Amino acid sequence: MRTYLEFAIKKFQNKMTYRFDFFMEIVNTIITIVVYLCIYKALYGGTKDIDGITYQMVATNFVISMGLSNAFKFNEMFLQDKIHDGTITNEFLKPVNFTFRMLWENIGEGAFKIVFNFIPALIFTIFYTSFCPPKSIINFLVMLVSISLGYLILWLISFIVQTWSFWLFSVWGIITIKNVFVNILSGSLLPIWFMPDLLRKIISFTPFESIYFTPVRIYLGELSGRDILSGMAIQILWIAVLAIVANVFWKKGVKKLVVQGG
Amino acid sequence: MEPIIEVKNIKKYYKVAKREKGLGATIKNLFHRKYEIKKAVNDISFSIKKGEIVGFIGPNGAGKSTTIKMLSGILYPDEGGIKINGYIPYKQRKQYVKHIGVVFGQKSQLNWDLPLIESFELMKYIYKIPEKVYEENLNKFTQLLDMKDFINQPVRQLSLGQRMRGDIVAALLHSPQIVFFDEPTIGLDVVAKEKIRDFIKYMNETEQTTIIFTTHDMQDIEKVCDRLIIIDTGKKIYDGSIVEIKNKYANSKTIEIWLEDGKKEVKTFDVNQTPMNEVMEELFSKYHIKDISICEPEIDGIVRDIYEKRVSLEPVVAGMGE
Repeated sequence: MRTYLEFAIKKFQNKMTYRFDFFMEIVNTIITIVVYLCIYKALYGGTKDIDGITYQMVATNFVISMGLSNAFKFNEMFLQDKIHDGTITNEFLKPVNFTFRMLWENIGEGAFKIVFNFIPALIFTIFYTSFCPPKSIINFLVMLVSISLGYLILWLISFIVQTWSFWLFSVWGIITIKNVFVNILSGSLLPIWFMPDLLRKIISFTPFESIYFTPVRIYLGELSGRDILSGMAIQILWIAVLAIVANVFWKKGVKKLVVQGG
Repeated sequence: MEPIIEVKNIKKYYKVAKREKGLGATIKNLFHRKYEIKKAVNDISFSIKKGEIVGFIGPNGAGKSTTIKMLSGILYPDEGGIKINGYIPYKQRKQYVKHIGVVFGQKSQLNWDLPLIESFELMKYIYKIPEKVYEENLNKFTQLLDMKDFINQPVRQLSLGQRMRGDIVAALLHSPQIVFFDEPTIGLDVVAKEKIRDFIKYMNETEQTTIIFTTHDMQDIEKVCDRLIIIDTGKKIYDGSIVEIKNKYANSKTIEIWLEDGKKEVKTFDVNQTPMNEVMEELFSKYHIKDISICEPEIDGIVRDIYEKRVSLEPVVAGMGE
């Protein structure tokens, strides 16, 4: 465990060396959030709520899901690059689990961006518009746990697609398409509240809803009591399912590498 | 002594897609591919004792890297078996890799953006090196390789020679019993090469580290290794000491003579065909000689002859060099 935490810490330090990069990312996050907030402000045009959803709720959803989706971005070409230039074999020469290492490095990067990207952007947007406060301090704390689970879902989906680079020459196109799906279906572009009923029903059977929307609803108090537990149980279920799928692809890919030599 | 590395009849074949020229063939290839079997390693056996330092050479594409990959556990042999330090590398990779170190001259394992020392620290956690051992090794290695000046610099600012020294230290911090060096001196200047060679020799002598060393630089082999294994087209073609290969296969010797009038004459001859005293007699009767020097055959030349098939090696007797 300590070993993997070290990977995260090293990645965090790594990110510190690119200061210009991180200033630009803060600006990027602020601009996207502000642009979307403007659009929704205009759409609401003074109306108090639409189907019980207030502008404040929408704004809160945006800041959490859009802000976090910027913070949770990591290099998704990592595995492909390692496979192409052959350095993946170096990784197998170390007594560490490479998958966990990748996860923890990405967590280190995510932690860096939450501290130096998400929080500054959040502080800036608080001056720009008003948000809903968390339902209670407990809701807030539970949301933090739920966000961590959401991150794992996001990471596993990305990892599964990345493992395909064992067989495909380039997974860049697939990753781009995957990201469009994640952005739309997780509600970080259009809040899930406003989606047509049928689509909402379909999304509820996918892991996408569990990424940001469950934490947002916990924060706002839309889910309470048993619903919080069942929401988080669904998150955990998805993590288990995706982890199994990821493991199958990973094992097959590694086997191909060590048997056929890549 | 029991051998620490035992390799028995390993084979590795690759399936390579056969490509034909032309647009038509390209389209045909989309649907139906022909494959060729490339024999990268074709029945190689050897065994290495603890504390040996073995040079592993061969022309490009001979199967060196494939063999090293199989030895380090990241590639399955198609046939045959490997046993190293009681482990079967490709089957017990996770336990096995704790006991080995691997240095790739062409692939760095250091963290590009962070100071060298941070990469070393990470190794401490990866291999769970006890603090005391870590400090001891780090101090010793940095002193031997003269690294004090740049240990706190980010890796991307280091010269190739400095980076290579960093890579070597990173691979040895956990005191591995066996170390594979894959072209550790590639692209380095004479001084840097010398430092690395001395260090490798030192590790071998003081720690009894077993070392396998691949290189294209014959100076490396001559200065560092006791034993030489040459492979070509997937087969082992020589396995024995360096002195032996020189005696056996150095067909030609060169004599340089400086004449009294200041001119220089060079004569190359085959000792097996003309005995030395015949040559000398001839030279003495022909010239007034001021000084004379006999050049020992360079291992470089011998290996070149072997690669270019100008000398044919006797078939390797199993167990030779033990």
